[in-house]
Amino acid sequence: MIKHPRGMTAENRRRIRLERTYQAPIEDVWELWTTKAGIESWWGPGGFRVVVKSIDVRPGGKLEYVMEAVDPEQIAFMKQSGMPTAHDATLTYVEVVAPTRLAYVHAADFIPGVEVYDVSHVIEIAETADGVRMTLTFDAMHDEHWTNMAKAGWEQELDKLGRALTT
Amino acid sequence: MHADVFQTLADPTRRRIVEALLTGEQAVNDLVERVSIHQSGVSRHLRILHDAGFVQMRPKGAQRLYSLRAEPFRELDEWVTAYRKLWEARLDRFGEELEKRQRARAAKRKEGSS
Repeated sequence: MIKHPRGMTAENRRRIRLERTYQAPIEDVWELWTTKAGIESWWGPGGFRVVVKSIDVRPGGKLEYVMEAVDPEQIAFMKQSGMPTAHDATLTYVEVVAPTRLAYVHAADFIPGVEVYDVSHVIEIAETADGVRMTLTFDAMHDEHWTNMAKAGWEQELDKLGRALTT
Repeated sequence: MHADVFQTLADPTRRRIVEALLTGEQAVNDLVERVSIHQSGVSRHLRILHDAGFVQMRPKGAQRLYSLRAEPFRELDEWVTAYRKLWEARLDRFGEELEKRQRARAAKRKEGSS
């Protein structure tokens, strides 16, 4: 029998919650999340450049980007380990409520040694007396609610596609 | 780290079984009672948990006793730590970018007023 520390249940092991408060207009915060220039300015991990190829911020819409290693050491390391120095990534928006709430599904795929799988991300933005509070919640396991919302987003897209094709 | 660590725990019934096992080794019958689903369901989920390395089984007489194994939970912890670190660095850059925008705006205002 393994001793589990109190509170370290399977429920909260898989969930990450981060909170930051910024002294900035809420519109700026939203823009950094939802525009090509905004995302490119901060998304890439250190040593990487991110180029957004397409962005469609609405439920079922996608963000497609390329992440490219720019740091010479990083490039050398990746080449040595047989990894490509650039790769494409896509995330799918699930909920979009400007400027306070954004939810998307994204494959967490660039942590070395970790296989690709979907992680749900929820960003909540609120104006408080101390500034703009931004809360991020990541969940590596989708529950039914998420699966259904993602599906609803897809179905909307398919409906639209269907309409576009028949008109 | 394997994706199936998460896929395995994505199922709410399996999560309930894992929660029930947190208190210690248990026989299938006890789990059926605590998770309150049919025995065939519990057995099926236990088999999946067993194949993914989450639980181990030892026979005791006619009973099969199940308990948790540490490895997949350690993997989960490692993943959570790595992902948190990645995002903390991202949020630092996010904050820097917000400041940059405000400074640029202030500079523009100043330019305009002079």
